[in-house]
Amino acid sequence: MVVPAGSGAAFQGVAAKLKCDMDMSLSKVRPDPEVGKQVAGGAGRDGDLHSGPMQALLWLAIAIAGAAAWAVLALARGEPVSAAWLVVAAVCTYLVGYRFYSRFIAERALKLDARRATPAERLENGRDFVPTQRWVLFGHHFAAIAGAGPLVGPVLAAQFGYLPGTLWIVVGVVLAGAVQDFVILVASMRRDGMSLGRMARQELGPFAGVLTMVAVLSIMVILLAVLALIVVKSLAESPWGVFTILCTIPIAVLMGFWMERWRPGRTLEATVLGVGLLMVALVAGRWVAQSPTLAPLFTRSAEELAWGLAAYGFIASVLPVWMLLCPRDYLSTFMKIGTVTLLAVGLLLVRPVLHLPAVTRFVDGSGPVFAGALFPFCFITIACGAISGFHALVASGTTPKMIRREPDARLIGYGGMLMESFVAVMAMAAAASLEPGTYFAMNAPLATLGGSVQSAAEVIRTWGFSFSPEQFETLTRSVGEQTLLARTGGAATLAVGMAQIFSRAFGGELVGLWYHFAIMFEALFILTTLDAGTRVGRFMLQETLGLVWKPLGRTSWYPSSIVASLLVVGAWGWFLVQGVRDPNGGINSLWPLFGISNQLLATVALCVATTVLVKSGRQRLAWLTLLPLAWLLVVTNTAGWQKIFSPDPRLGLLALAHATEAKLAAGQMASGLARQVVFNAYLDAALAGLFLVVTALVVLASAREWWRVLAGRTPPVVSETPFVETAYAS
Amino acid sequence: MRADGPIARLASLLRRLAGMPDYAAYLDHARRCHPGAPVLSERDYFREYLRARYADGPSRCC
Repeated sequence: MVVPAGSGAAFQGVAAKLKCDMDMSLSKVRPDPEVGKQVAGGAGRDGDLHSGPMQALLWLAIAIAGAAAWAVLALARGEPVSAAWLVVAAVCTYLVGYRFYSRFIAERALKLDARRATPAERLENGRDFVPTQRWVLFGHHFAAIAGAGPLVGPVLAAQFGYLPGTLWIVVGVVLAGAVQDFVILVASMRRDGMSLGRMARQELGPFAGVLTMVAVLSIMVILLAVLALIVVKSLAESPWGVFTILCTIPIAVLMGFWMERWRPGRTLEATVLGVGLLMVALVAGRWVAQSPTLAPLFTRSAEELAWGLAAYGFIASVLPVWMLLCPRDYLSTFMKIGTVTLLAVGLLLVRPVLHLPAVTRFVDGSGPVFAGALFPFCFITIACGAISGFHALVASGTTPKMIRREPDARLIGYGGMLMESFVAVMAMAAAASLEPGTYFAMNAPLATLGGSVQSAAEVIRTWGFSFSPEQFETLTRSVGEQTLLARTGGAATLAVGMAQIFSRAFGGELVGLWYHFAIMFEALFILTTLDAGTRVGRFMLQETLGLVWKPLGRTSWYPSSIVASLLVVGAWGWFLVQGVRDPNGGINSLWPLFGISNQLLATVALCVATTVLVKSGRQRLAWLTLLPLAWLLVVTNTAGWQKIFSPDPRLGLLALAHATEAKLAAGQMASGLARQVVFNAYLDAALAGLFLVVTALVVLASAREWWRVLAGRTPPVVSETPFVETAYAS
Repeated sequence: MRADGPIARLASLLRRLAGMPDYAAYLDHARRCHPGAPVLSERDYFREYLRARYADGPSRCC
């Protein structure tokens, strides 16, 4: 970590700040917090604007437009449907959900109060506690929660057709995902920006706190492995992609030195420079890929890339923040917001036809992309975009410390998640605009497709989709790749979809450039997550190790940092390398595991959210969080159970282990490979079991707490920071 | 470039959006809340900001 040279002055500043805060709070403490609550729903102020008859008509029109769009999507059989209907259906549902449901939550359940000072106001320090204009914070929060998850999940779930996934993305976000983010954001805001883990400890006791930490650490490992695998799958044997992504590292380091050494604090300057250099690297990538001397240097196998990524993750998490992580963070934030906007504009301009059927025959669980039937695996595959437990970590991190006024939390928490859901809908539209044959050729594992485009054509035709090997070859060449077959993991599929939309909207001759732009965009923020996630994992591990031996807990002590980083990278690197070696492509088994763990983290977050509601005396409204909680428990437990115990070796991990052992005994499989498959199957099964047990314990601990409060055994104490009236003019 | 001109305001908005340090806002805060206390230099403020922001690990999502 960077130790600031001027820390002496900084400490004086802190002392002065404390005094400043004391003065502020003393002057504003109100004896009776209930007084403030009478004006609950400063959020309702904008409600006055919506209450006239014209407004009622407007909302009726929005509701009818949404219902009509859903009807078109649901009733279309065979005739071409425009992606515009997806967008209309989603946006109208979001508007209605935001206007009515989130307002209900804000006013009745959370009682947001415009007169209550937020931590950003009370503890303002010009660093992490900074009152921020709500639309700016909305963008900031969105950039922090949206990553590869909402892009990849829908692409994979498109194997069921576009309709089931879209329904879950849109309905799920309104009733579950956005509710979770919103309630946790407000709970954390009312506790001076407390983290989810600490809230769990505070509300549910130390045992649940430790369990939450275990859940977070293990989901982190799976998340990082699966994200790294996605990058590997999209970059293997792709000199253009590898060159461009490699260039992002020196570019970020250059930016780091720019803003730390040469032009201190000039972050925007450095970012403009970085984005410019990224574009140069993107164009240069084509030249590298076409050069007979350079191309072989950057043509790397999946396994080489996997080791490279693990090494990168280790180095990045030990280096000072300013050198790599911070500049990457800035780069990927702007790239993310820019590209998502570009995609929305492109979709509006092009309005591609959805070539994928609304519902495919693979809803029965026989699909090649991943095993498992529509229920429960559609709801597992699409985690981010509908509901993501990971968001609870962000919503209890930096964002709550920046909210200027309490009612802003509705736009930022609920609205920010709606925006992420919209990204997922766009990803679904991009994937569904591909020909089904192309989609399945890119997403089925190589073991299923056979090694060549011709063998793939045979297989895909048996599924009932048309597929032209010549067209596929042309597509492959037009995006500047050697092969697009079995590029599992969703990133490449999305990139092809985006490239087609972008090139039709903005420039027809540039499909290859747009494809690699999309790959770079995805890889850029996946690498940022790898880097950031490894560091978070390292901190958590060091905190735990510090309990055993104190010096190990010091995050700035190099030996401890190196040991902890190695352990974290070793854990996700293990799953990554195994995923690369997996004959079925790895994504097949790792993505569902990630989905399950992410949804389980969401159940933990919803448990905390429900407890907060119950303890604040609003148990009558606890159904707001209990409803999604119950649904997630059903989904994750069914999926986890099937993943472990299903007799179908494609789905059940134990069945896979037994089937492989049988093959080994019969001499049908190389013994090294077979032993690896067996070991991994048992390991994954144990991990899935661990996730289920941890969640069950958290749910039980929470239920006990609810019962005790409702039975009057524990006083319903809200551990919020006491009410202080805002000094801002209303 | 004037401190309150449109370009400066856009720059400040972009900084907030990406979670970048905003030295001008810090100076403003320091003047308001800690009059007379020593003020960090731009470089020290930048370092101090990164330290505070990434102290518990950065919050990034999938």
